[in-house]
Amino acid sequence: MSADLHTLTGAYAAHALSDTERQAFERHLEACPACAQEVRELEATTARLGAAAASPPPPELWDRIRAEALVTRQLPPVVGRAERRRRTGRRGTAAGRRVPPLLAAAAALLVAVLSVTALNLGLLGRADRADRTADLVAAVLAAPDARRFAAQPGGTGQATVVVSRQRGRAVFVADGLPPAPADRTYELWVVNRSGPRPAGLVKVAGEGRVTRLLDGPVTGNEQVAMTVERQGGAARPTSEPVVVVDLKA
Amino acid sequence: MTIGTEQGTSVALTWTRREPPHRPAQAQDPAARPAGDDALERLLALVARGDERAFAELYQRVAAAVFGLVSKVVRNPAQSEEVTQEVFVELWRTAARFDPGRGTARSWIMTCAHRRAVDRVRSAERAARRDDLVGRRDQGRPYDEVAEQVETTLERERVRRSLDALTDLQREAVVLAYYGGHTHREIAELLGVPSGTVKTRLRDGLIRLRDHLGVDA
Repeated sequence: MSADLHTLTGAYAAHALSDTERQAFERHLEACPACAQEVRELEATTARLGAAAASPPPPELWDRIRAEALVTRQLPPVVGRAERRRRTGRRGTAAGRRVPPLLAAAAALLVAVLSVTALNLGLLGRADRADRTADLVAAVLAAPDARRFAAQPGGTGQATVVVSRQRGRAVFVADGLPPAPADRTYELWVVNRSGPRPAGLVKVAGEGRVTRLLDGPVTGNEQVAMTVERQGGAARPTSEPVVVVDLKA
Repeated sequence: MTIGTEQGTSVALTWTRREPPHRPAQAQDPAARPAGDDALERLLALVARGDERAFAELYQRVAAAVFGLVSKVVRNPAQSEEVTQEVFVELWRTAARFDPGRGTARSWIMTCAHRRAVDRVRSAERAARRDDLVGRRDQGRPYDEVAEQVETTLERERVRRSLDALTDLQREAVVLAYYGGHTHREIAELLGVPSGTVKTRLRDGLIRLRDHLGVDA
């Protein structure tokens, strides 16, 4: 059986196996260093075949890639993967499912903050202000000088602010944000030397995704914060921020 | 209410974006390694930490290879751009998962590009049917196109000569699988040989190419 599998290195490196065959062969690879080495070499070989077909992409493709990358959450490294493999000679099956500790801590913190603030009942508020047009968001994300600032890990790790100083605007991007408690809303603030000013309410879409143009101009010398406020928002923050992003860093 | 305004809480909460001094990759890239695989690995490590400049540089270095390969397999300009975009966003997303113990950065990137391209044509082809495969082969497509395209650089010339050094069956299997995106079963049908033969020819062919091209990994 396994003598048969050894001959699949070429078909595997060229992606010529069916899905089931590929999965079976990948299991075999974990236990067969000779095949793993051969696959490494044959993949390096196919990479040369690929490079021989090189042709330059249209110039505007980079702008699209960059804009999408800016709002795409990166995976954390799998800690200790190589270690574990060296020690046990098996793959770490748990690695793919493990929740990154940072994310877990951030989620716990956010839940804690929200449950405390949820105790305070607020007034029934108005509907969220309408988001600015997607065009403006796209313009900021694709601006040549756009820079991305992440929230402090250990605060809430998945919030990001993208700033274009040229355009004087910023976009708040989050992922995995729990919905605000009933009768509550998230509110954004731009904080400068003279204090916080309201920068808009946050609507949380499916899977906790948020892309929100900050109201008003941003110079890049501020912090952006998010608090939980009563429906309709507040003129001044009334709770501890659940997210702080420093744009000066 | 305690949103940090100046030094107070803000310092503790500040996420320091400044990377350690960024050194241009060329400066560290000895001429002895024109392929720049070490540089790619270093760039990937920076990309894994969210470094956008490193991502831009990585793109500059490998975009033509990725886009060229994807275009060859996918054969539709708009879809090739889409797949190329998917590939680079995937690289950005998963850079931290790159494992140098499993191959070079270049291999990893090109393998990712090829897999995405193949996924795209396979999902498109599940709709279309087999007879179409024969039609495509009759156009004499993959190998001729490759042969046409490979004239400018030395690298292309070397790859072309290496392909020429294979037996016909090895070369057709390699070209139909890699540039054509076909499974070994489809190739078996196209060439009228058992699929076991296609598997071994693919392996023999790639091993011969490896030796001919002096690939080490």
